[in-house]
Amino acid sequence: MRKIAIYGKGGIGKSTTTQNTVAGLAEMGKQVMVVGCDPKADSTRLLLGGLAQKTVLDTLRDEGEDVELDEVLKPGFCKTRCVESGGPEPGVGCAGRGIITSINMLEQLGAYDADKQLDYTFYDVLGDVVCGGFAMPIRDGKAEEIYIVVSGEMMAMYAANNICKGIVKFAETGKVRLGGLICNSRKCDNERELIEALAARLGTQMIHFVPRDNVVQHAELNRKTVIEYAPTAKQADEYRTLAKKIDQNQMFVVPKPLNMEELESLLVKYGLAA
Amino acid sequence: MLDARKSQVITAGDARAIVCDRPSVAGSVTQRACTFCGSRVVLYPIGDALHLVHGPVGCAAYTWDIRGALSSGMQLHRNSFNTDIRENEVIFGGEKKLARALRELIPIHKPKAAFVYATCLTGVIGDDVEAVCRGATAEFGIPVIPVQSEGFRGTKKHGYSAACAALAQLIDSGDTTGIGPFSVNILGDFNIAGEIWTIKSYLQRMGLEVVASMTGDGRVDDIRRAHGAKLNIVQCAGSMTSLAKMMQEKYGIPYVQVSFFGLEDCASALYEVAKHFADLAMLERTRALVREETAAVLPEMARLRKDLEGKVAALYVGGAFKAFSLVKALRQLGMRVAMAGTQTGAQQDYEHLKELCDADTILADDSNPLEMAAWLAARDVDLFIGGVKERPVAYKLGIGFCDHNHERKIGLAGFVGMAAFAREVHATVTSPIWKLVPRRQRPGCSNTEGTP
Repeated sequence: MRKIAIYGKGGIGKSTTTQNTVAGLAEMGKQVMVVGCDPKADSTRLLLGGLAQKTVLDTLRDEGEDVELDEVLKPGFCKTRCVESGGPEPGVGCAGRGIITSINMLEQLGAYDADKQLDYTFYDVLGDVVCGGFAMPIRDGKAEEIYIVVSGEMMAMYAANNICKGIVKFAETGKVRLGGLICNSRKCDNERELIEALAARLGTQMIHFVPRDNVVQHAELNRKTVIEYAPTAKQADEYRTLAKKIDQNQMFVVPKPLNMEELESLLVKYGLAA
Repeated sequence: MLDARKSQVITAGDARAIVCDRPSVAGSVTQRACTFCGSRVVLYPIGDALHLVHGPVGCAAYTWDIRGALSSGMQLHRNSFNTDIRENEVIFGGEKKLARALRELIPIHKPKAAFVYATCLTGVIGDDVEAVCRGATAEFGIPVIPVQSEGFRGTKKHGYSAACAALAQLIDSGDTTGIGPFSVNILGDFNIAGEIWTIKSYLQRMGLEVVASMTGDGRVDDIRRAHGAKLNIVQCAGSMTSLAKMMQEKYGIPYVQVSFFGLEDCASALYEVAKHFADLAMLERTRALVREETAAVLPEMARLRKDLEGKVAALYVGGAFKAFSLVKALRQLGMRVAMAGTQTGAQQDYEHLKELCDADTILADDSNPLEMAAWLAARDVDLFIGGVKERPVAYKLGIGFCDHNHERKIGLAGFVGMAAFAREVHATVTSPIWKLVPRRQRPGCSNTEGTP
């Protein structure tokens, strides 16, 4: 089983990209589990056709330790298995600890066991690696491949670089490696070249350039992935391509994060100077 | 001894000044407690307040009834109420559980005020304890006061400050009508073994009115009108000086730092208080009191001294004022002090200790069991005086021990307290059991290792 975590700046399109990619892999016949690690619990909405999920932490809170895996693991599009970790209301408690508890719980319940015959587990993680809890999915023995969703916007690139710093820390003691950057296009100037250059500087690859297409928005409003909502759309093929590239990916690296000056000069060279 | 600790240990004859008043050295098993514990020991003796520890059960359990402070009435303080924060609250937040706990406890126990202690865990998850306390204050009409005592905020001393800040929220909320010109507050006595009753009786015989005692046998309504007193008498300098300073600044109440331990210090404490009020009749009453009380205990002390002459003691205490008193009290019993250490002493305190002690007396700041064990053995002491954490150090070495901290069951303050102290020291030092301990069986086991 390959264990993959998707990181990236908040609002960059991690959940959308993850679920569409997962749908692509599922179409290929892969057995995939998605673990949403966002307290909002909206990481599996498109696969499930709505927020139909009771989260691991809500279940744990309401029913105590005697949680059954079936209670928190719901089948979604194309036999994908969907879990939401859940977490506190905004402004209270510790969402990071929630993720730690939730992933430990899933392990205890045997969600990753060999008899589940999973090909992939995807962790869709909220935003940045802000604290220890949000790094849980990349601790040793958890996700071993990271993909960072990024765009040509400056703050998205800052965040991607920051996430790389987190990966370096865990790569020193564990097996986690960066698999590549996924460019989720915002139609910035020279966006493809910029992200390719950033990837090169980080020592990784831009694994795919996902163009911007309104069909994504339409599919989301219908609570579906593009692959389910508009299987013949060009955008569906983009996600299928991304899924295939991830499936065949061989390039796993310990990234080399940039310092601020390097990052800014890159932006000037490809972005502003254009 | 750890290299990083060497500057914190001197002998009284040393020219160099001690380094102190700093966080404990990593790797040194300090005898100090955490910030939370510092707040807890200061506030807990208030008998009619609810003390609620917002954190894991361990924080509450390990500080439960921690110093045996006696109360003349309500004993609510002897309960260790706790929100029992667990994994679920860590994730989802503990504020609701805290509000629920207050809602459950206040109607049952009808306290005059409640103190809510923040701990490490609730600090890290960012529970808004202040907001919950504000809500509860409005709901129940009693002061519900947050104590910012997260353990990681600093040393035990930071906990003292947090406790003083909490007390400051209570003061100036009560009516001071009827408080006379000869009125005092007692700060920094915690009524262990009923000691504050002894002190109060002296003050009353001098003609003084005690408005509030903070916090031994303390009462919320008294503390609320403490700003009406004319003088603050500060005993435990480490814990309460900051409150005394605040009250001086805000309400113009002067303070005196005293100790009621030992004949000499107790007498000068009472004289200093009397002098402050500059009342001849009071001064005369004080003289009579000191004469009478001293006369009552001197014959017994003289008798006990015969057996104690030349014996050697070591002491390790929290604050420096107690160390001063103990050095003097032991000298009065004919004993020498081989080592005197404190958890929280300041530079000037150690300078004063230097003057009080013999040139070869070891002075140690923020010591640890290994250091102390080495010194006790090297100096072959007959008695170690300290608290609950020092006791095993003494007993493991086969050395007599006297508790002069939370665990004492007989009051050691005042003139009668000095007599009790003398009896306790005498009984311990002269016990035949010490002839049988291993260190007296093995020749040459006393060594010089550990002498700085």
